[in-house]
Amino acid sequence: MDKTLLNSILKKVEKPSRYTGGELNMRVKEPSMADGSKRNRFALCFPDVYEIGMSHLGSRIIYNVLNERDDTYCERVYAPWFDMERELRENELPIYSLETGSPLKDFDIIGFSLLYEMCYTNILTVLDLAGVPFRSRERGDRDPLIIAGGPCVCNPEPVADIMDALIFGDGEEVMNEFMDVYSSWKREGSGKAALLKRLSAIKGVYVPSYYSAEYDDNGDFRKLIKLDPDAPGSIERRIVRDLDKATYTGDLVVPYMSIVHDRVALEIFRGCTRGCRFCQAGFIYRPVREREMDTVIKQTDESLDCTGYDEISLFSLSSGDYSHIHELVPLILDRYEKDRVSVSLPSLRIDSFLKDDLEKIQKVRKTGLTFAPEAGTQRLRDVINKGVSEEDLLRSVHDAFVAGWHGVKLYFMIGLPTETDEDILGIAELARKVSREFYSMPKELRGKGLRCTVSASTFVPKPFTPFQWEPQISVDEVLRRQALLRGALKGIRGVEFSCHFSETSRLEAAFARGDRRLSEVLISAFEHGARLDSWDEHFNKPAWEAAFSENGLTVEQFANRRIDVGAPLAWQHMDAVVSQDYLMREHRKAYEQITTRDCRKGCNGCFGSRSGAICGKKPEENT
Amino acid sequence: MRLCVKFTKEAPVRFVSHLDVQRLFQRAFRRARLPLAYSQGFNPHPLVSFATALSVGMTSRGEYLDVILTDPMTPEEFVSAVSPVLPDGIRIAEAFDLGESRKSLTSAMRTASYSAKVVFTEPIEADKLVKAAEELLSDQIVVRKKTKGGIKPVDIRPMVLDLKLVGTEGNRADLFIKGALTAEGGLNPDMFLTELYRVLGSNGLAEIERTEIELDRSALN
Repeated sequence: MDKTLLNSILKKVEKPSRYTGGELNMRVKEPSMADGSKRNRFALCFPDVYEIGMSHLGSRIIYNVLNERDDTYCERVYAPWFDMERELRENELPIYSLETGSPLKDFDIIGFSLLYEMCYTNILTVLDLAGVPFRSRERGDRDPLIIAGGPCVCNPEPVADIMDALIFGDGEEVMNEFMDVYSSWKREGSGKAALLKRLSAIKGVYVPSYYSAEYDDNGDFRKLIKLDPDAPGSIERRIVRDLDKATYTGDLVVPYMSIVHDRVALEIFRGCTRGCRFCQAGFIYRPVREREMDTVIKQTDESLDCTGYDEISLFSLSSGDYSHIHELVPLILDRYEKDRVSVSLPSLRIDSFLKDDLEKIQKVRKTGLTFAPEAGTQRLRDVINKGVSEEDLLRSVHDAFVAGWHGVKLYFMIGLPTETDEDILGIAELARKVSREFYSMPKELRGKGLRCTVSASTFVPKPFTPFQWEPQISVDEVLRRQALLRGALKGIRGVEFSCHFSETSRLEAAFARGDRRLSEVLISAFEHGARLDSWDEHFNKPAWEAAFSENGLTVEQFANRRIDVGAPLAWQHMDAVVSQDYLMREHRKAYEQITTRDCRKGCNGCFGSRSGAICGKKPEENT
Repeated sequence: MRLCVKFTKEAPVRFVSHLDVQRLFQRAFRRARLPLAYSQGFNPHPLVSFATALSVGMTSRGEYLDVILTDPMTPEEFVSAVSPVLPDGIRIAEAFDLGESRKSLTSAMRTASYSAKVVFTEPIEADKLVKAAEELLSDQIVVRKKTKGGIKPVDIRPMVLDLKLVGTEGNRADLFIKGALTAEGGLNPDMFLTELYRVLGSNGLAEIERTEIELDRSALN
């Protein structure tokens, strides 16, 4: 590539270090191995801008897993921001990898991380700038293999026409098998068809072109038909059994520019036992697998040593639930206090008893506190199985205020199944009580002024949750409920309101539950100019409207439709291991306002007949 | 104790912003386990100060920072502790003890020299370039400079201390520029070159390297 030209572009664009690589601990490898054979070239792409992609722990793990292999060189690429995309196009430069500056077309495999639906057009931006055709059927033997992994693979259908193969479940569990197959295929030199055949025999690998979809007279999904007799009938999610033995991030690449999560992230456990009924992560990462404290400490030591970071985050879906949390937090704080390392605990539940831990965290540095009651009334919290009470919240914020915090964020959702105006007003009531809790404390015991942010996102029904059949409420209704809440929050001292843009939530719902017809919608939207859709200020509504209508579809038919329980689901060939029977049972219980216990307190049988094999527990009588 | 460190910023990190260079050194010093002194206050940070910032995109053979340590360390010990943990593109050229001095490096800066490798859109003749430079330097050079108070016209001619044509080849020219660089500000070589392109009537793309910052070490005592 013309370096002077590229440098002149980098001088013009915003945040040029998004595009230069060369960071500390970046992996450097020669194109060939010692025996002279070429390494597999793998471009790992997180389809969003650098500072977001680099904050994703999963891709950091996959980067290390792949680079631990001598036969593979994994490089990184991220989606360009608008200015860089424009410059690349105007100067007819291809998108390139950060490690070696190689055009993406030169890679054997381009692997995308699918973390959220609103990044899908960025995949097309990257493919387009790489000069790689969008549809798998348009690509030949000389094009790179296009694959994807990550949580969105639990419904891969909206990208089915684009991807050659998708990997379902924990990547560190599958990637080595995948690359072993790839390497042996490459040695033989047969075509891509032979490769796909072999890849589809790996448990957890889905090759969408082996199936075709049928729709009923209403235009709803009916079924998937196998086109290849050897293709598996269902794709089972892969699960890492032992996180202590699993490969972790290795030496972390340390970015120059500041990124969203600019700290050492230590995953203390994967999965969640709570079973909140709206939460996809709570179902598709089951069962809970904890890392031993020794492993966590060892990884913390190594990560701090090789990066120089001064902050670590004990990361999981619900950090307060870690079995040894009350030992781990003081241990880590004591161990690194002299080095001025601060600790943050994201995803704290309000019923975690962390008063003492909070006081200790406070000694080093104050990090933000976020609590997620999710719903405003006990009735609705029971419907969603949130399992926390108003007392829990008030006690937690009280403890935080006593410990010196004066800024808290409260997360809620609007549009949950069965929600009424009373539930919305309940959110304001809760905020009022939090405000009162703060201002009723003696002045000398509390911080100066309360900063309580009430944040309301829009409920998005997701596959493999008990609410997968539920409709999302209409945009107008979202706006009405947001206005109702905004009005009710007015005048509460120290409380501010923020809410999520409803158009993107609606699109997210469509893509979360969409079928493979959405692949064409996606391509049309890209062609109409949709880019970086998760950046609300850049959301291109006309592009999406045109894309749906050109394909004879509507957003509503995916986002706002109530699917009959038992009706075909576009993702029913994906086996997330949690059984559909269990999800139906949970769906019914939601309407009966019956909560389900935390599975640490007794097995609820979510894996059905596989419970014993998956997590070693047996379903017990549920009380 | 207070150490002065001269370091390079080479091609791999040329697009790293000044703020990010500051963070890069803080992290490197932590990796090197230096006995860093920290500021007081709500959010303590290591006491590391930079003489000046370098424009994003430029490389440099000699930038300066100073760092305060709680335990004594010889400059040699410092260099051997820090050098192995620096990222590609940053090297320590020199370190020296500032003794008891608390004067800022910024206050000791006098001039800066630059090497500009310019690629023009067409072949360039040395004579024509020299003539254009002489014409440009013969009078005020008023540029529109962005300041906190808006865009203001500024004469940058007094800040141009020296200009030499090192050589030309085809559409490439190699220039040496020396400009003022003090606590009050300095010559922006990019801006100067833009004026030169204008007089020349030919557009160029320059890769600029700061070859030296002149520090008046006596001013630090």
